Amino acid sequence: MDVMPETAAAAGGVKNVRRPGELPGQKASPAGQGRNPILQIKSLTKEFGNFTAVDKVDLTVYEGEIFALLGSSGCGKSTLLRMLAGFEQPTSGSIMLDGQNINDLPPYKRTINMMFQSYALFPTMTVRQNIAFGLKQEGMPRARIEERVAKMLKLVHMEDYIDRKPFQLSGGQRQRVALARSLAKEPRLLLLDEPMGALDKKLREQMRLELVDIINSVGVTCLMVTHDQEEAMTMADRIAIMDRGEFVQIGGPREIYENPNCRFSAEFIGSVNIFDCKLVSSNATQSLIETGDFERRIELSHDLDLADGMPLSIALRPEKIYISSQIPEEQTNWCEGIVENIAYLGDISTYYVRLSRGRTVAATLPNVDRFKTGLPTWDDHVYLSWDPESCIALTI
Amino acid sequence: MPTGIAGSSALLRRRRLARFAPKRRKKEIKVLVQETTWRDWALVALPYLWMLLFFLMPFLIIFKISMSVTEIAIPPYSPIVTFKEGAMQIILHLENYTSIFTDEDGTYLKSYLKSLQVAFFSTLLCLLIGYPIAWALANCKTATRNVLFMLIIMPSWTSFVVRIYAWMTLLKRDGLINDILMVLGIIDEPLHMLQTDFAVYVGIVYCYLPYMVLPLFTALMKVDYTLIEAAYDLGCRPVRTFFSVLVPQTRSGIMAGSMLVFIPALGEYVIPELLGGKGSILIGRILWQEFFNNRDWPLASAVAIVMLTILAIPIVYFLKSQRKARERV
Amino acid sequence: MNEFISRRRSKAARIGILTLALIFLYLPITMLIVYSFNASKMVTVWTEFSLKWYGVLIHDDAMIRALGISLTIGLLSAAASVVIGTLAAFVMTRVHHFTGESAFMLFMTAPMVLPEVITGLALLLLFVTLGDLVPVFQERGIIAIWIAHVTFCSAYATVVIRSRFIELDVSIEEAAQDLGAGPVKVFFLIMLPALMPAEVAAFLLSFTMSMDDLVITSFVAGPDSTTLPMQIFSSVRRGLSPEINALASIIIAVASIGTFIGWLSLVRKQKRMEADAAKAAEEARRERERLKA
Repeated sequence: MDVMPETAAAAGGVKNVRRPGELPGQKASPAGQGRNPILQIKSLTKEFGNFTAVDKVDLTVYEGEIFALLGSSGCGKSTLLRMLAGFEQPTSGSIMLDGQNINDLPPYKRTINMMFQSYALFPTMTVRQNIAFGLKQEGMPRARIEERVAKMLKLVHMEDYIDRKPFQLSGGQRQRVALARSLAKEPRLLLLDEPMGALDKKLREQMRLELVDIINSVGVTCLMVTHDQEEAMTMADRIAIMDRGEFVQIGGPREIYENPNCRFSAEFIGSVNIFDCKLVSSNATQSLIETGDFERRIELSHDLDLADGMPLSIALRPEKIYISSQIPEEQTNWCEGIVENIAYLGDISTYYVRLSRGRTVAATLPNVDRFKTGLPTWDDHVYLSWDPESCIALTI
Repeated sequence: MPTGIAGSSALLRRRRLARFAPKRRKKEIKVLVQETTWRDWALVALPYLWMLLFFLMPFLIIFKISMSVTEIAIPPYSPIVTFKEGAMQIILHLENYTSIFTDEDGTYLKSYLKSLQVAFFSTLLCLLIGYPIAWALANCKTATRNVLFMLIIMPSWTSFVVRIYAWMTLLKRDGLINDILMVLGIIDEPLHMLQTDFAVYVGIVYCYLPYMVLPLFTALMKVDYTLIEAAYDLGCRPVRTFFSVLVPQTRSGIMAGSMLVFIPALGEYVIPELLGGKGSILIGRILWQEFFNNRDWPLASAVAIVMLTILAIPIVYFLKSQRKARERV
Repeated sequence: MNEFISRRRSKAARIGILTLALIFLYLPITMLIVYSFNASKMVTVWTEFSLKWYGVLIHDDAMIRALGISLTIGLLSAAASVVIGTLAAFVMTRVHHFTGESAFMLFMTAPMVLPEVITGLALLLLFVTLGDLVPVFQERGIIAIWIAHVTFCSAYATVVIRSRFIELDVSIEEAAQDLGAGPVKVFFLIMLPALMPAEVAAFLLSFTMSMDDLVITSFVAGPDSTTLPMQIFSSVRRGLSPEINALASIIIAVASIGTFIGWLSLVRKQKRMEADAAKAAEEARRERERLKA
């Protein structure tokens, strides 16, 4: 089975049952099951001169879901979004909205609306005029426009600001007006370009949930672009990680975090320790792996489709590592070292442990005890151990 | 998943290779965002054609006419292309150019040199006077700055000829300056100031100073003043700081201002005509005289072509630097 | 302490420099105005206050006629320059990479730096050449002067409008398109209102440049179309006359009133922006409080 992004998505997020991490509370419902695809992108490519911004991307977005494109700046996510909105012409490939090819449709004829990163509110118009703008272009009768504007303002709780100009509003209020404006035309697909990009950190966290509530109450399908993994994780049902114009992985937030399919994915979301390893042996219930970073072997409780002696990487999240001053009883899955540095982050602390062979490993502990009794401190000799299920095997 | 790992390795390997490819800068992407469409061409067309017709064409015509000789006719020059007995004849005259360079009195060469000299020193004067003004302006409080800025720009919104006229009344033999100097007892006899090179310099500096101050002011507003503080902090003395920190940072403003003064000053006609004496024969005046008084259009054209050749380097330099500044935006 | 002294010294230097600069710039203008109210025919000897020269000016038919011609050409040139300047600025900032782009940039900026005698000569020779084909150019009347003025004024208009275009947020135009407005509507509903201050500034600048031009106009103008600067120039060449002082005073008065109005609207705009910002800050504060609660 090939983990091409599109097949993974179309297969409805079929996952290997042996994989760990299938805990309750997973946010993503397996995408697409019994749902109607709204947006289908096939082999979409955008080249600027000899630079390929988006490289043969395939994607299906289903009705009612919130889908996030996540990637660092310059990865092509904004170009992809702009192609959907109609501001960029694809070099090749097709964009289908409700089964219709919209490649050659100009932006003003697409039933897609966008909320811009800067919100792009018309500065000379009031809140009312801003929201009514799109409806006027449709030629909607005035009475109905008024009605719709009122409805939209109620939706975003901005009824009291109907006659304000954008510059007289705070950042959060501008965002809500921008959202109301892009929802007013009842688009088939709502595009959000870095929706929280212009807000400060505190407000961001609050607005994320509010935004999701509003979007869900309208029931609009939504595709957002962000570089903020937390934002993507909290808001989206499914996430696509993008790098250099290609999708690296598509899946629900939990799937991407717990089962990254490659080194890039693992490193991009959250923090991770990655060990370069070599496969020693593998059978149906157990794989043994050797690394140059510490003496003990790594043991997985499933097999690997890889020849013995082949190189691979093992990814291990810091919060999945236990820190102890006692030597573990097991033969495998532990190492020892000296606490070199402690980063106190309030809710958790990150311990940087220097192994005897020179490698530093990060491990976190929750700060449950206010007076941190019994926790390791600088220069302590500690043992780090983990469960076999916590290790993620990556070929790259 | 295990199958997935091995199966996707080809894809992943490709990606890893891609990751080593040189990263392109964002700016490059931005520039290439749009392709030209027929609609864009329609928009380009009007300004483009206007400039092609009324700006490029004339220069080709000047060049053509500079190759003919004067005739008493309408228009007063010989045609270059004639049809004689069914055959086309092209006659190119180079007399105009040879007479510019080998004229017995050297009138033309002298006036070119004189123009270069006047333009150069007026540019220098404008820079020396304009830099402190721009500096003082840039260091004012915002409200005061706006008012002062308006005040400095305002005179250039009034008529050019009127401003020259004002200096004529001031520099006259019985003008205000002579009167004051006499009353103060600094001089016994009125100075002869009008119709001298001095008056020409005063006129050029007065009229072109705003063109120097504006770009300097813009450049000074952009200066990162913490650099100056850093220089002081590291023990650099004010004069040295000025030359090693402020001047390099305002280089673009200095060059732009100098070009904006030098280029038009080189071809200036009105100021030497009204304020200058018989000695202030600048090339703009020569061109005017050849054209209006002697009605020698071909020679005037040749004079213009030579002037353009002299100006080509500074003009191209100026336009290029403007373009660079544009691209930086 | 040391820094305190240097700062005070720098302030004194600033005041000194600016005072001298303003004296240099305004002394000649002030003297012009003062002597325009002088009864004597001598422009430099004060006798008594009089409005005599303003009366002479009003009855100078040639001067009034020249003013009329200049105003007509000025308004027409400014209008055309703003249109061409807007198109050119649009092309420069919103259309990237077309054939001959650098030549286009050259054409649009060169008229600003070329010596006027060259531009004037070039345009005249063009008109003479074209006169054989199109009779309009042969007359060398208002239309010829208008074309010449538009050629250099539109360069200035382009610079002014272009700098405003750069400040505009492209995503606002995209937002309008996204909401269903076609390109033409986007231009008139969204871009033009935002460009308005620059359009006005470009119009005024082009108008002033056109009203003030002497050299280029002298080349292209025929004997029947003498503009105001040409009339002033020939009169000044004949000798100093208090009538010119009177005219100059009027020109200066108009220019300063114009500048003052411009300054006032700028101040008012700034105040409005400050008020808006204060309102926005107030809303942000309330938002934070709401978050805390």
